[in-house]
Amino acid sequence: MNTGSRFATRTLVAALVAAGAITSACAADIKIGAAEALSGAAGQYGQSIRNGLQLAVDEINAGGGVKGDKLALQIEDEQTKKEQAIDVFKKLIFQDKVLMLFGPTLSNSAQAADPVAQAAKIVVFGTSNTADGITSIGDYVFRNSVTEADVLPETLRVAAKHAAVKKVAIIYGSDDVFTKSGYDAFKKALEDLKIPVTTTETFAKGDVDFKAQLTKIKASNPDAVVLSALIAEGAPIMVQARQLGIDLPFIGGNGMNSVKIFDLAKEKSDNLWVGSPWAIGSQTKENQHFVVSYTQKYKSAPDQFAAQAFDAVHITAQALGKIKLTGNLEADRKALRDALPSVSWVGATGAFKFKQATDKAGKPAGYDAKQAAIVSVTKGGKYSIEQ
Amino acid sequence: MLEQQLVNALSLGCVYALFALGFTLVFGVLGVINLSHGAVFMVGAYAALTVVTHFSAPLWIALVVALLASGLLGLLIDVLVLRPLRRRNAPHLIPMIATIGIAIFFNSAAQGVFGAENLRFPSDLVPDKQLQFAGIQISELEVAIIVLSFALMAALMIVMRKTQLGRALRAIAESPKAAALLGIDVQGLFYLTSFTAAALGGIGGVLIALYSNAVFPLMGQPMLHKGVAVIILGGMGDIRGALVGGLFLGFAEVLSVAYVGSTMRDAVAFGLLFLVLLVRPQGIFGRILERKA
Amino acid sequence: MSEWLDTFWLVYSNLVLTIGINALLALSIWLTLSCGLLAMANAAFMGLGAYTASLLTMNAGAPFPLAVLGGIAVPTLVALLVGLPTLRLSGVYLAMATLGFGEVVRIFLLNADSLTGGALGLSGIPQLTQWWHVVIAVVVVLLVLWRMRRSRIGRAFEAIKEDEIAASLMGIGVMAHKMLAFALGAAIAGLAGALSAHLSFFIGPNEFGFDRGVDILTMAIFGGIGGLTGPVLGAAVITLLPELLRSFRDYRTMINGAILVLVVLFLPKGLWDPARMRSWFGRKASRALTTAADSPSAEGPH
Repeated sequence: MNTGSRFATRTLVAALVAAGAITSACAADIKIGAAEALSGAAGQYGQSIRNGLQLAVDEINAGGGVKGDKLALQIEDEQTKKEQAIDVFKKLIFQDKVLMLFGPTLSNSAQAADPVAQAAKIVVFGTSNTADGITSIGDYVFRNSVTEADVLPETLRVAAKHAAVKKVAIIYGSDDVFTKSGYDAFKKALEDLKIPVTTTETFAKGDVDFKAQLTKIKASNPDAVVLSALIAEGAPIMVQARQLGIDLPFIGGNGMNSVKIFDLAKEKSDNLWVGSPWAIGSQTKENQHFVVSYTQKYKSAPDQFAAQAFDAVHITAQALGKIKLTGNLEADRKALRDALPSVSWVGATGAFKFKQATDKAGKPAGYDAKQAAIVSVTKGGKYSIEQ
Repeated sequence: MLEQQLVNALSLGCVYALFALGFTLVFGVLGVINLSHGAVFMVGAYAALTVVTHFSAPLWIALVVALLASGLLGLLIDVLVLRPLRRRNAPHLIPMIATIGIAIFFNSAAQGVFGAENLRFPSDLVPDKQLQFAGIQISELEVAIIVLSFALMAALMIVMRKTQLGRALRAIAESPKAAALLGIDVQGLFYLTSFTAAALGGIGGVLIALYSNAVFPLMGQPMLHKGVAVIILGGMGDIRGALVGGLFLGFAEVLSVAYVGSTMRDAVAFGLLFLVLLVRPQGIFGRILERKA
Repeated sequence: MSEWLDTFWLVYSNLVLTIGINALLALSIWLTLSCGLLAMANAAFMGLGAYTASLLTMNAGAPFPLAVLGGIAVPTLVALLVGLPTLRLSGVYLAMATLGFGEVVRIFLLNADSLTGGALGLSGIPQLTQWWHVVIAVVVVLLVLWRMRRSRIGRAFEAIKEDEIAASLMGIGVMAHKMLAFALGAAIAGLAGALSAHLSFFIGPNEFGFDRGVDILTMAIFGGIGGLTGPVLGAAVITLLPELLRSFRDYRTMINGAILVLVVLFLPKGLWDPARMRSWFGRKASRALTTAADSPSAEGPH
């Protein structure tokens, strides 16, 4: 190298360093909180969600962040306990001073903790809350988890069409908000579709034996069995049903949409219809990209919880891209809230938009997901999408 | 349908009885309500699962491993926690609380090591071939559970009634101090009881994990709640009580689902429990006399 | 300084008030224990109080004080009804019967859909509990229990706890005193429930069952049941434990369980034990710490 180019190199290096210094001085981390159930009864869902959130944050940061600012994700464990959810929310909002927060995992906890966020005027974005009474809390409450009320009618319609279903039996978990809301949504959808119910059975969380209920269902001679359960009970129910000689199709709610069913029920998992905003088999470019990156990073297949969490971060990033952060926390939180409703995004779960919900008095409140459901049926260890 | 439901009730009752056997044994001999029995039960299931998935062991080896793992854990709990409390003559609430702490510890340790999600035994190992007769379906596994519960009960009863060991244990159940004065190795028998009860719990864990297709960290907790009901119904500390109480609860649950309505299942079961306690508080086989020091 | 205080309160107000409510619960079980009763129904009574008060404010638009009174009255009445047959039992059998009763209440709350919302619970409960409500409740309850302890009633409880038969031979109405302890314990638990419901917007049937009952018992025993300070201290420590252990992330619950075992093993009379403190710190220091409310010869139930 001759002197001239050495000088040029040094200047270039100096300029780059200076530029780097300036950009990093300007780049402030955007603090985002997440309160999820990393332990306790909903631990497996919370961990999925955490993975989805982290994957998206890392992806965005690797691409330079939002307008140069990196996202800093702070995840806390709400232990599947609503008191903990409230405490963690308060900590993230008032002590860690995050710009917005995701969570909590269960609808129960959301009903207790979301009002805290609403009162503090900070966006709370649920990625897994599907019960009633959440977005009606107020206009700072958002969720991209499509409610059962929106998905189940579609699932029933497609299943009934393909499997010639004229009457059904129902079995659901009566002691869990999620499975009970699922039942309420199914019941209404069945009434709307004028499909009679032969018998309605219930079970409780932690039950290991469902043969009493299934024997009764078999005796009532339905064409299909509607199942509102989480995988922990749903899988044994399907296995025991097949063992008792019930070869009918099962129509499941959100909770049954997980590849774990293949693992847990093996060959007895066939003929299960589920509707959900996300299907692992969906061949869209965005979803394939998500599935591949998730599997690479976490060495296991993603589920719906991870997918919705992943998309939620991207949706938030879109809104962040539209606002200018002033450093005044109150103003920034409000700006984010104002920018969020108009975001539209195509992610792993497909095309997404928000739609506003109303509160108990009928006034406009929070924002629900407006998204089409995909209906799939299990065949030979895979979900295959049907129309 | 009735016949099938009766068979369902029998197998469910025996599932409950399997768990309750170990639970009641500890109460009967050690005088402690051992709320860590659920955790011990869970550890057995995980131990078996580990040898099956990582060492491709056959099922019977997995059962032996579960027996040893849980038994040793039970023994460890006795040596480290229950024995010091015994020496101190702590009122019986105290060991119960300690066992709660132990359960919390192991439940969350399991979650940390194995993860929170449901795992299952490889399906080729589950003896779920269906047997059919007279229009009734029952799986090989259920038959095994039923036979095993009765066999274990019979074996334990024989030991208790007809052997020297059994007499010593019954003496201890009456009054440990008196038994010690009679020259019985009370401490050694406490260890043996803790080991055996926990080993029974471990075997129960494997069988029930196979039956319900699920292994997860909190799997012992719902069983514990049912187990408490079973030993109250059957009589705390009585071996026959564990089986009879288990069957009683199983039949109450299944028949109320079949003929009353499944939402009423727990109400009926607990209502009956409550009634039994009012009419005969010591349960079917229990004795009302409080244990002397 | 005041800004720090404000932030502290914003973040931790819930936690502090929960300590107060848990203290009430621990005291309610202490009361029954002081009469020799191991009654495990207080979680259910808390639930009955919570639901009654919430339904009164939400459906009947009742003013808060009235709702709280309702939350106290209903569990007390139920306790009087249930106590009659069950208090004949003793020791472990009473514990189990009351546990069973607790489950029955939980199932009732779960199934009485139209009234209680079933599994969906009651949401949107107005947040009416102020910090001073909780403070007043704790102070009043402590005062009542302290006075009761030094009165004839308190001495009768002690006598019954020691030896029921002797007590009745001495002319003490054993059943009447047990009912008093049981019903008053239910009242305090109902009060805690009413306050707690109006603190957290939402209640569901699953939070008043076996696990909660075990928590309450643990708080009391952990703190020490020799006197009134023990349960309050136990409630404070157990409520704070998850918060203090937060930095331990994944190991938190494990450490929680381990602490419970260690305390039981090494601090047999619970955290607050005047006798042990005397031997550790010497007379003067422990006298400064103990109050007249703690009696030196305290023991657990048989």
